[in-house]
Amino acid sequence: MIEKDILEKVLNRALEKGGDFAEIYVEEKINNSIFCENNMVEKVNTGREKGAGIRVVNNGNTAYVYTNDLSEDGLLKAASTVSRAERAGVTRGTVLLVGSSCPDNGITRRTVPLVTPIDDKVKAVLDANKAAREVSGEIKQVTVSVADSFKKVLTANSEGELAEDERVRVRLAVNAVAARQNIIQTGYESAGGMTGWELFDQVNPEDLAVKAAGLAVKMLDARPAPAGSMPVVMSAQAGGTMVHEACGHGLEADLVQKGLSVYKGKMGEMVASKGVTVIDDATLPGKFGSYRFDDEGVAGQRTVLIDNGQLVGYMYDRITAARDGASSTGNGRRESYQHKPIPRMSNTVIAPGTDDPDEIIKSTEQGLLVKRMGGGQVNTTNGDFVFEVQEGYVIEAGEVKYAVRGATLIGNGPEALTNIDRVGSDHGFAIGTCGKDGQGVPVADAQPTIRIKRLTVGGTSVAGPTIKRIRRR
Amino acid sequence: MYQDYYALDTDMAGRLLDIARRKKVDAEVFVMRSRELSIEVINGQVDTFIEAEASGLGIRVINAGRLGFAYSSDFSAPALQKLLDDAITMAKYTTQSEHNRLPQSGQVYAPLEIFDNNISRISVEDKIELARHMERNARAYDPRVTVIERAGYEDGEVSQLIMNTRGINAFARGNYCGSYVFVVAEQEGDAQTGFSVSLKKKYADLQPEAVAIEAASKAVRSLKAFMIPSGRIPCLLDPYVMTRFLGIIARMVDAEAVQKGKSLFAGAVGQQVAAASLNLVDDGLYADGIASFPFDDEGVASQTTSLIEQGQFMGYLYDTYTASCDGAVSTGNGQRGSFRGLPSVGTTNFMLLPGEHSRQELCSDIDYGFYITEVMGMHTANPISGDFSVGAAGFVIRQGQEAEPVRGVTIAGNIIDLLKDIEAIGNDLRFFGAKAAPTVRIRNLSIGGE
Repeated sequence: MIEKDILEKVLNRALEKGGDFAEIYVEEKINNSIFCENNMVEKVNTGREKGAGIRVVNNGNTAYVYTNDLSEDGLLKAASTVSRAERAGVTRGTVLLVGSSCPDNGITRRTVPLVTPIDDKVKAVLDANKAAREVSGEIKQVTVSVADSFKKVLTANSEGELAEDERVRVRLAVNAVAARQNIIQTGYESAGGMTGWELFDQVNPEDLAVKAAGLAVKMLDARPAPAGSMPVVMSAQAGGTMVHEACGHGLEADLVQKGLSVYKGKMGEMVASKGVTVIDDATLPGKFGSYRFDDEGVAGQRTVLIDNGQLVGYMYDRITAARDGASSTGNGRRESYQHKPIPRMSNTVIAPGTDDPDEIIKSTEQGLLVKRMGGGQVNTTNGDFVFEVQEGYVIEAGEVKYAVRGATLIGNGPEALTNIDRVGSDHGFAIGTCGKDGQGVPVADAQPTIRIKRLTVGGTSVAGPTIKRIRRR
Repeated sequence: MYQDYYALDTDMAGRLLDIARRKKVDAEVFVMRSRELSIEVINGQVDTFIEAEASGLGIRVINAGRLGFAYSSDFSAPALQKLLDDAITMAKYTTQSEHNRLPQSGQVYAPLEIFDNNISRISVEDKIELARHMERNARAYDPRVTVIERAGYEDGEVSQLIMNTRGINAFARGNYCGSYVFVVAEQEGDAQTGFSVSLKKKYADLQPEAVAIEAASKAVRSLKAFMIPSGRIPCLLDPYVMTRFLGIIARMVDAEAVQKGKSLFAGAVGQQVAAASLNLVDDGLYADGIASFPFDDEGVASQTTSLIEQGQFMGYLYDTYTASCDGAVSTGNGQRGSFRGLPSVGTTNFMLLPGEHSRQELCSDIDYGFYITEVMGMHTANPISGDFSVGAAGFVIRQGQEAEPVRGVTIAGNIIDLLKDIEAIGNDLRFFGAKAAPTVRIRNLSIGGE
């Protein structure tokens, strides 16, 4: 993308006034998207963007500049700006970049989605729209979107490392709205990966659409969710929002080092029940959060965070690793050239256990079954997290009874992980965009069917003398 | 920088529109140039310093009722030619609609003071010192404040040029500045966070001490919080919490949501949808509003739009497309997040207007209630069904007084019920970003707790 000698000049210019580390990150991307709603192909968009971010790190402090101007002059001007930031005046040897390399961790790229004709993409979107609407006359609105991105990235740094890669991601999402009299409910399904259009060899857009529409219709019959503390079974197909919020963020090294994690100072301690193993793995082929190397040029890897209940690792980028005298775990990610890299999750999973998933439900006297999770949020400092239940059922005497809507689960990370008393042998993934410090990055999460002894369910159906029928419109 | 670019960009856009006219398509060129400065201080040191410029443009094409869009950050002549061709190509694949149209010329733009020269004039050193000053103040507030996660200053400058084949020619530039503090307070193994963010149109309006003190006091007062039992009790919503609810309401007053059957306010015009004390407006011209701008992102003049007046629903927010669908006029609410997207309906300064009561008056006759100061997971609330179930923290109200802190509970209900259950509205209007609300008292909310 940029000649090696120009990159060397830029890095040297950035370090002109001192600094421990300099880096340039260059990105060129093409984004395409198609959006269908109201039975209309409303938007077919395409965009091209390129830019570079240059940073200098000195004593752990970062100066960062970005620009759309990738000419030699433009990059050198940006490098001069970044070198101006106040610093100690350390002088360094000249940067020489070693040959271009791409760390190999087994993640490979197949077809580029750009070669897929727009007609084919539009057809997939329209087929999904039709399939969702055919589920029921109660389906009033369907939104289908498909987006693909092709991104060339380059990182070069003052350690002499140069890495280049091409990343391809595809994502399809269906949102269905069902209505009956005054009740409106929605169903959502999505699929995506670090993969080309061949994603749809495995995933059928129409199947996703039927699932989303089916959920919306089913939720019309749901009763208000209970409120209060109770056992919660989360099925594998529910996805991994819980693990992402309950411990993922709290194990990102920047938050730990700043004293903003409930997991700080707990290395080696038991933070979950014995059957719980949590892994962050960027090397899973084709998953939404996978990458060959992170946005600092470090190979993506498999990092065990919690091993049978014991806290054994944090997720590091270069800066936080240097502070702890550790090595980067390849979790330095950024949304774009306009952002500095920070420790982020990739694909975060609770490893499967040995319990029979059906038996976990059967052995639950009373509680909530979560079949589908939505979004979530965590306060890493105290460990409190919430997440949305998109599809939930009440369990009574080991049997799945009726569907409930409008539930949110609230819990505390270490407490919830320690309260996991059953871990199933199955495994299910969900994808999402994770937001932190104003940066969104693609991630995936997974878990087996698990049971948590007690979590607080926030519904509207309150037991006791103050009970009032909740009116729904 | 902007004066330099204005002439260049106007020429460039004019040439592209000429080509579009020759190709017999309607077209719009949207050029955005922005500058950003961000300073984050930790322990008196500048932990992160970001200084950057970015620019890009988007071209919207309408060819016989079909819409196409393409964007780029590349202003070179061949890239621009390709960009227009791409947009025309994209228009081949979209569904034809008579409502795809561009706004017409003849817009009258209000003269707004949206550029503060002080923001660019004040030195970087002074801005760093402001951040350090906030950090010191937050730390000094109470010995239990143990961590200053971040104390920061930021400012930004944006210029927008919009020209279309229907004669729109709009240019303006604006800037803003902001400061924020995030802290942690600790006591006997308990750790709680507190934050304060303030965005202003004028540098002189930044109140660094107040921001520091608010963040620190929020963290300290939340220590040693407990759960309360499940039940339905009277609640007071802090202005911050109410602005988070306004985020959901904003999506329900959007004409697009209404037209697509995704809003509970469909058919609500003229109906009583909220307590009589409630007045809701979208004001793109509000003097101190961070979102004030003479025109929206398709060049339609900004205005003040009344949405709910004394509880009665008045109308929706429109961009040019949705207005055409309803046979209405755009309310100047065509918004884009950046040059990378098409305009769609969005809010400007979205405000729940203040009432007459002080916060103390609002809770004086509550024997037992919940004063909610934080909510968690509000992005999971459903703007289509109006259902929400979110994490909440705050304080118990006992005999009209704020008592012990609460955390780890949920509040749940439906937005429609919430609006009708408003009993009284405070006089303490406050902005969080571009949304503003006072403290609001709700008859009761469902609490999920112990």
